[in-house]
Amino acid sequence: MKKEQSIGMKIWTNHYFRFVLFGLMLSMLVPAVSGGILKTSFLGIVGGTIIFTIAALGLNILLGYSGLISLGTAGFMGLGAYISAYVTGDMGLPWEVGILAAVLIPTAIGILVGLASLRMSGLYLGIVTLCISEIFRKTFDELDVITGGFSGKSANYPTLLGMIDLNQKQTYILLVVVLVLVMMLTYNIVHGQMGRAMHVMRGSQVAAQAMGVNILKYRLIAFALSTGYASLAGALYVHFIKFVYPSTWTLMISLTILAIIVIGGLRSIYGTFLGALVVYAMPDLVLKRIPVLGDINGLPYVFSGVLIILIILFYPKGVVNVFSDLKRLFAKLTASKSSAAKDEVPNDVG
Amino acid sequence: MSTFLQLFLRSIETGAVYALATLGIIVVFRTNLVINFAQGVMGMFGTYVITVLFVRRGLPIVAAIALGLVICVGIGFLVDFFIIRRTKKVDGSGKEIITLGLMMVFVGITPMLFGVDPLKLPKVIETGSFTLGGANLSYNSLLNIIIGLGLTTGLFLLLQKTKLGLAIRSTASNERTARLMGVPTKNITLFAWALAMVLGALAGSMIAPSTSVTVNVMDSVQVNAFIACVLGGFQTFYGPVIGAYIIAVLTNLFSYYISSVWGTQLLYLLIIVFLCIRPVGLIGKKTIKKV
Repeated sequence: MKKEQSIGMKIWTNHYFRFVLFGLMLSMLVPAVSGGILKTSFLGIVGGTIIFTIAALGLNILLGYSGLISLGTAGFMGLGAYISAYVTGDMGLPWEVGILAAVLIPTAIGILVGLASLRMSGLYLGIVTLCISEIFRKTFDELDVITGGFSGKSANYPTLLGMIDLNQKQTYILLVVVLVLVMMLTYNIVHGQMGRAMHVMRGSQVAAQAMGVNILKYRLIAFALSTGYASLAGALYVHFIKFVYPSTWTLMISLTILAIIVIGGLRSIYGTFLGALVVYAMPDLVLKRIPVLGDINGLPYVFSGVLIILIILFYPKGVVNVFSDLKRLFAKLTASKSSAAKDEVPNDVG
Repeated sequence: MSTFLQLFLRSIETGAVYALATLGIIVVFRTNLVINFAQGVMGMFGTYVITVLFVRRGLPIVAAIALGLVICVGIGFLVDFFIIRRTKKVDGSGKEIITLGLMMVFVGITPMLFGVDPLKLPKVIETGSFTLGGANLSYNSLLNIIIGLGLTTGLFLLLQKTKLGLAIRSTASNERTARLMGVPTKNITLFAWALAMVLGALAGSMIAPSTSVTVNVMDSVQVNAFIACVLGGFQTFYGPVIGAYIIAVLTNLFSYYISSVWGTQLLYLLIIVFLCIRPVGLIGKKTIKKV
């Protein structure tokens, strides 16, 4: 179809516009909470989902595009959180400096990991990154001058430009803004030359090298991006939750982030958010509202565990495909209705 | 010298725990081609079953362990039959995510069944110790060391000398071909998951007396077991076990002779450096990927 698009259509199909629209939709939560339509706890849940989405987007670049696995996301998130809390709290520097340090230092370490990854692949790489994450976690325990040890470390809501003190709702808006920016950045990266190079690299390293793709460069970039995103998420976490414990950053968090991208759909930006919503927010959003069940200890875990197993078993391509599948189903339904020939519509969403 | 021997013997005891957990991971990995992230919590759950049989049902400790292990076999069968068997078509990281789901289910179901309070599991042999070359060793530690070494040796003999072992090894090397040759691969994976569950529960009940039985009882064991797998190499059954003992010995030596705070981190760092030099582990073969 070569039909000339109207200006309205052009804006509607523009990806940046859609990301901004998505951000606006998420920000609608603040008036909804202020107006008393939704409970305040929703802010915390969706804010947490946004933080996990940012970390998962980084892992999506690494695993989805470059085909490299990392089980060390939690360690880098924790590192970002502690650096930001230390720089803003103990050193008294502005929030912007804190977040910059919290992203740059872990990213530099991430590049080192990328160097090490050149000789490893698959599950060896996964467990070596787990090893790095454990080194961080043990250090969080022991280095109590900086991390506060087992008792944890607190931080405040961010102060923008040294004068604007944010409260929880405004911090939530800040999270949404960062998420939209990160989504745009990710979109540009994966749809540019870099994304194509990573695609080839995932398919076959030898073939990629034969085509002139510099494996070293793109592996390092992929690792730098994923650790940068993870530490950014960690730094946002500490200023949103206002507290950080060493025991948070275990293998479970890394696996949860891995689950987010696999369940949401590899190589999908919106899918990553959907995955975070399913894995992280669903137990809180659904279970806590049911009177008796919500009080049973451990039920949220069972709920998400069963949900994860069922989605992987019956919907392995990721929940992001649910929309296109529904559209196809709908088209099929209307088509069969108009022809009125078939009595049975195959309804294979699974 | 006696300090060193004392440290060494204690390490062999910890090594037994790591080795059993590692064997659980590797048996499942070789037969199902999935890294079982739920190995730790499966062991934790088994330990809870044993502890509850002892504390609440009042069974003698040995009977509680025996009955607990039988229940573990059943749980292993259930896990394979209802979940893992259906994942044949799942590709990529999907299988690992399934084990994460399994992990969450076990973590969630434990407080529902057994309550949130930490429980206490006693040693099998409560008292008594002897001296060996200046090093003091309790009878219970000796029992743990013997169980660790005995079980690993027994499993190697099973793998190398029996028909079942041959079936496991052929499934591990190529599941499809094994099935074509008439190996009942479904029963093999069933056996593998039950074995993983039993080994996990044994490891858990060996380490539980030194701490208390909580949801996190196996966390550090699991991480060390994974690292042992890459240190030893995933291609053999015995490599990871050697890796497990090496990690246990070095952890204790490092934290005693170098630093109790930084010893473990240093060891992990050295393992990473070692893996950079030998990316397939101590005993591993490089698999060549075709373009």
